[in-house]
Amino acid sequence: MRLHNESTPYVERETLVEATPEEVWEALTDEDRLEEWMAPEVELDPTEGGEISVRDGEEERSGTVETVEEAERLSFTWSRPGQGESFVEFTLEPLPAGTRVRVVEVPTDPAATNTAPGSTAIAAGGWDRPLLRLGRVLRLTPVA
Amino acid sequence: MRAPAHRNVDAVFDALADPTRRRVVETLARGGTVTASGLAGELPITRQAVSKHLNALRGAELVTSSRIGRETHYKLRLDPLDEAAHWIQMVSAEWDDRLEALRRSLERRTRRV
Repeated sequence: MRLHNESTPYVERETLVEATPEEVWEALTDEDRLEEWMAPEVELDPTEGGEISVRDGEEERSGTVETVEEAERLSFTWSRPGQGESFVEFTLEPLPAGTRVRVVEVPTDPAATNTAPGSTAIAAGGWDRPLLRLGRVLRLTPVA
Repeated sequence: MRAPAHRNVDAVFDALADPTRRRVVETLARGGTVTASGLAGELPITRQAVSKHLNALRGAELVTSSRIGRETHYKLRLDPLDEAAHWIQMVSAEWDDRLEALRRSLERRTRRV
């Protein structure tokens, strides 16, 4: 598990599904099920150190599975050929009406990334908000 | 279009992970073209520290520099920041699409059973 400090940029999205965590887990880890929603061609060995490969037309990503905690957490790294690597983590939270599926994608930054076994913390407090705020500052300020 | 943008985003994220460097960028954004001494006057850090941060930002192609007389003037480049914001928007949109497809796939199956 990677530990990210507060200044690490990340994308976090989530959805609620009317299914049990076990049903969601199958959709996240079974290749045929993955091909129903993730991309037309998906290969996944859902064990730690296993390979993942996702192909959607011209677009291809591949990487390595990092964490497999059945019906709770799945994480892997992936990248397009010759490009920067991202870390992706799904977490499943059982709710009365179904399951909350949360996904985080973070560009892997060797300087800011530590391997911290047992830790599940991805710090809250996003970096995208300061970035977008900065983007607004820049657009509002004419640069001579 | 996507490939070079994504590669550059890593360097931009590295450079902007440091809060002091973000303040340097914000100050540059307000002041247009400035010198290291000028920046040191506006920030609670030494001129040497400013120069170090400016070099890191130049490495990420976030600032350009030019010599005018005896002083180096620094200017912000907007493109890499747009690329970083673009990466966040692009990856967010990709996951929104995938999660929606996951939700539909699961609900189709749940109803079938």
